[in-house]
Amino acid sequence: MKLTVNDTEHEVDVDPAMPLLWVLRDELGITGPKYGCGIAQCGACTVHIDGQAVRSCQVAIGDLVGDVTTIEGLGTPDLRHAVQEAWIEGQVAQCGYCQSGQIMQAASLLETNPAPTDDDIDRAMSGNLCRCGTYPRIRAAIHSAAAKLQEG
Amino acid sequence: MLKHAAIAALLAAPALAEETEFVIPEGVTLEEGLAAWDRIYEVTSHPRCSNCHVGADNVPMWSGPSYGDTARPHGMNINAGDSRVGAEYVQCSTCHAYREFAPADTTPHAAPQVAADWRLAPVEAEWFGKASREICTQLRDPARNGGRGFEDIAVHLGHDVILHWAWNPGPGRQPAPYSLEEHTQDVLIWGAAGMPCEGDS
Amino acid sequence: MGKLKTFTRRAFLVGSATIAGGVAFGTYLVKRDPDNPLAVSLAEGEATFNPWVLIDAERITLIAPHGDSGQGVLSTQAALIAEEMDLGWGDFEVSFGVPSGAYWNRALAADGVPFMPTDESFAANTARSAMNSVAKVVGIQGTGGSSSMPDSYVKLREAGAMARETLKLAASQRSGVPVAELGTQAGAVVLPDGTSIPYTDLAAEASTLEPVEGTALRDLSSWTLLGAPMERLDIVAKSTGTQDYGIDLVVDGMVHASVCLNPAKGAPLIGYDAEDALAMPGVQKVVEVTGGVAVIASNTWYAIQGAMAVDCQWGEADYPAEQADHWAALEAAFTEDALDQEWRNDGDVEAALDAGDVIEAEYRMPYVAHQPLEPLNAIVRVTDAQVEVWTGHQLPRFLQQVVAGVTGHDTDDVIFHNQFMGGSFGHRLEFEHLKQAAEIANQMRGTPVKLTYSREEDFSQDFTRHIAMGRGRASVSGGQVTGIDLGVASPSVVASQMSRMGLSVPGPDSQIVAGAWNNPYSLPNYRMRGYRAEGLAPTSSWRAVGANNGGFAFDCLLDEAIHAAGADPLAERIRLMEHDVSRKVLEAVGEMSSWGGELPANRARGIAFVESFGVPVAEVVEVEQTDAGIAIRDVWVACDVGRVLDPVNFENLVQGGVIFGLGHAINCEITYAGGRAEQSNYHAHEGMRMYQTPAIHVRGLENGEHVRGIGEPPTPCAPPALANAIFALTGQRLREMPFNKFIDFV
Repeated sequence: MKLTVNDTEHEVDVDPAMPLLWVLRDELGITGPKYGCGIAQCGACTVHIDGQAVRSCQVAIGDLVGDVTTIEGLGTPDLRHAVQEAWIEGQVAQCGYCQSGQIMQAASLLETNPAPTDDDIDRAMSGNLCRCGTYPRIRAAIHSAAAKLQEG
Repeated sequence: MLKHAAIAALLAAPALAEETEFVIPEGVTLEEGLAAWDRIYEVTSHPRCSNCHVGADNVPMWSGPSYGDTARPHGMNINAGDSRVGAEYVQCSTCHAYREFAPADTTPHAAPQVAADWRLAPVEAEWFGKASREICTQLRDPARNGGRGFEDIAVHLGHDVILHWAWNPGPGRQPAPYSLEEHTQDVLIWGAAGMPCEGDS
Repeated sequence: MGKLKTFTRRAFLVGSATIAGGVAFGTYLVKRDPDNPLAVSLAEGEATFNPWVLIDAERITLIAPHGDSGQGVLSTQAALIAEEMDLGWGDFEVSFGVPSGAYWNRALAADGVPFMPTDESFAANTARSAMNSVAKVVGIQGTGGSSSMPDSYVKLREAGAMARETLKLAASQRSGVPVAELGTQAGAVVLPDGTSIPYTDLAAEASTLEPVEGTALRDLSSWTLLGAPMERLDIVAKSTGTQDYGIDLVVDGMVHASVCLNPAKGAPLIGYDAEDALAMPGVQKVVEVTGGVAVIASNTWYAIQGAMAVDCQWGEADYPAEQADHWAALEAAFTEDALDQEWRNDGDVEAALDAGDVIEAEYRMPYVAHQPLEPLNAIVRVTDAQVEVWTGHQLPRFLQQVVAGVTGHDTDDVIFHNQFMGGSFGHRLEFEHLKQAAEIANQMRGTPVKLTYSREEDFSQDFTRHIAMGRGRASVSGGQVTGIDLGVASPSVVASQMSRMGLSVPGPDSQIVAGAWNNPYSLPNYRMRGYRAEGLAPTSSWRAVGANNGGFAFDCLLDEAIHAAGADPLAERIRLMEHDVSRKVLEAVGEMSSWGGELPANRARGIAFVESFGVPVAEVVEVEQTDAGIAIRDVWVACDVGRVLDPVNFENLVQGGVIFGLGHAINCEITYAGGRAEQSNYHAHEGMRMYQTPAIHVRGLENGEHVRGIGEPPTPCAPPALANAIFALTGQRLREMPFNKFIDFV
């Protein structure tokens, strides 16, 4: 099976039922997306497929259609996406384990809604669980990233 | 007889193990029609179906034996929006991924997945918490059922892979009662009886 | 197939293997010091002045032995050293170090209790409480009990000062300039003429000197790092998906494993049929471990799928199979025989109850799971010579012992590489997953084995917070609360936890009554008894441990009494609080929240005060009745940790602690049916999500004498504040968690 992740094409030979998450993590060594629940309850594995936020633990590799972007493809420590920049400035993370998923979901939200209200954020972000409880800072960072992106 | 053939063909959807031929019964009594409707209502009011047949607030429900005694709105503050596919906030398909070639995910409580874009039923078909007569009158009203006669409803049952999931929901979830075949046959019986509803005078 | 990332360390993180792998020794003096693990393997030109600072010509490495499960102590430990050393922030590397007695936790050392056994004063009992519980768990080198800052605050600054002064001495010897005329700045010694000599440049010379001790610590008015916001050292990695956790590591030649364990925790495996699992793709083999089986595969998912497919026959639990019997055991524990300790008996409670109006109430606090988002995992490689372990853990020295106990190696031959933890909340104080990983790897010597729990297995095996029941009476008279008589019954979490480390703990367990007996209120009549219920499900320390139970029962009972007395909830708490630091916390939260002011329609407030780990915390919660249920709108928190070392991280931890407390109080419990936990994933044990999260306003006071940790104390105060707010809104007293069994939340 072929797949494109962060603009690089890969070929894997696995059970078609294997979730994209495990193809990324164990077959391709792309570990930004995290395993948290395996049943779409936590959002830690969120990636983009053709730009849409998707829980990679729910996508069987045999049914994958589209290009995959992981947090590693969104930005890097040296070349950060505006959302990542806002996350750093706002000192959002505690343990940080959920934050790859939070950032990917937030980036997707801002693609479709450049100036989300608190209510919009509540609707878009509540599928992403943070056990440490960094939600107040996530909310602030999304508003800050939105302002950054609007300034260009 | 043409009608039989058409329905039979269209019911040969992937979810059905084999082609099933349905016959529109003749000489159905009102009582038999109402009895068929009661069985249909058991299906339409069952959590596997009604959880996604919700009203204009666009909020799917979580209810059924695996959720305890009381129904609750779908967790995670999910709202499918007026698009009924979540386009405004979080796409239903963010979690309810498209699944056609890979076998079903058997992890208990995994997000339901089918070979279609997961979505809410149209707002006109609000079934959640509705009484028998309310659902019945909606289903027989072409203005609110997608312009369908009862044969078209039966055909629709064969098409729609989301509703097929209701009878094959995976571990930890109670399937809808009867079977897709029995349910389809009941729709034909109900239709043949003139689509009667409880309390018709 | 893409190239797999092999085990690499973050740029700023030097793994312990590097430190342990040097070839030559440094100074004779330091080499002799058995307490400095850095000295054991110093290379030529490397200098170490104490167990926390290592310098060579290339880099400065600071050792942060307290594990980081998200609370940010890696950064704060480094800041304590860097402050005295005058290091540029981030111009150094940080390591969790190797397990060593040198890193013993002074805040929890038993001989640190300055009280005679006969001393029954409040302070003495508070100190002993800490010893009786957390110290026994946390042991020699450990992270827990919000102790990282109390342990590190002086020690690490002294370590930094010692390094700085020794480097200055080296610079003085090189330049001929007296030490007194030398300054330090940004990782360099500065000469009077402005010349600066980087510390790294001085390492070789400094390594020949005796470390300079006894230097006075700097006054906090001259601090440049501590007390001001600082960028956490891990924040960039954690915002770009580049932070490795234990679950992300790859060791060459590694296989993947997952387990299927008896859901009746601790009960044995009777038999199993692995035929289906062995036929599955990617599955290599199935091996037995204590209490279950492990499936070895070429990929984590294959291993998890395989583990789900093994058909096992299980032995029965040694605790009640059904939840109702757990509650019944607590109900039956309020007896003379089960009395664990009478912790407090001030005044004459019976007389006060006779004289006043009496309020009576029973409170129920359920089992609750830890469930940090990173599931339990560990990589273990066993060879005949040694064992290597890669995982995140709070008790490195005990980890070595436990693993050595499985494999038969000497403890010192267990090499432990501690990792960042994707949360813990007490979960990573436990050892069962490490025993299993070691058992598997021991059956496959030479092959590194990475064990990863599925979320379902993690839920099933979670040693939860201990279940508890509180039964209390309160007396009111003349518009005041005059007495409280409270008993709390629960299993001993300390005994349960220690038993899995092969240790038994004599004496009473203060965690049965924590949060209730140790309240600094000056109630004239105040009796507090703990009752120990035996034979219940195994439990473990859950963020703030017993204070979650005792704090809920005590503060809710006090609130009921205050309402019965017709007094104001804040004013009466203040009246009863003679302890100055705690009273100021109550006054602060009143001021912050404008307590007593007009509220919008359909809104109400509750207040609570709970002390844990020496930190007094007061919280005001404001709730609103909406069409969709009760919404939590605002929370005001005042607490006193003596000194706030990083205001941003402090605020983040307080907010997170409040959210942790509220979320679990609303919707989480673990219940047993057929001996197994009924909740298998987050859908049934959800915690708080974004849309339910209130605005949380935080103030850290600095009146306390001692520096305290903030990782746990905000949590136990939140549930009673919420329950009291809901009473104020609806008139309904919620005496059992989780609250969503009784009312709807948004």
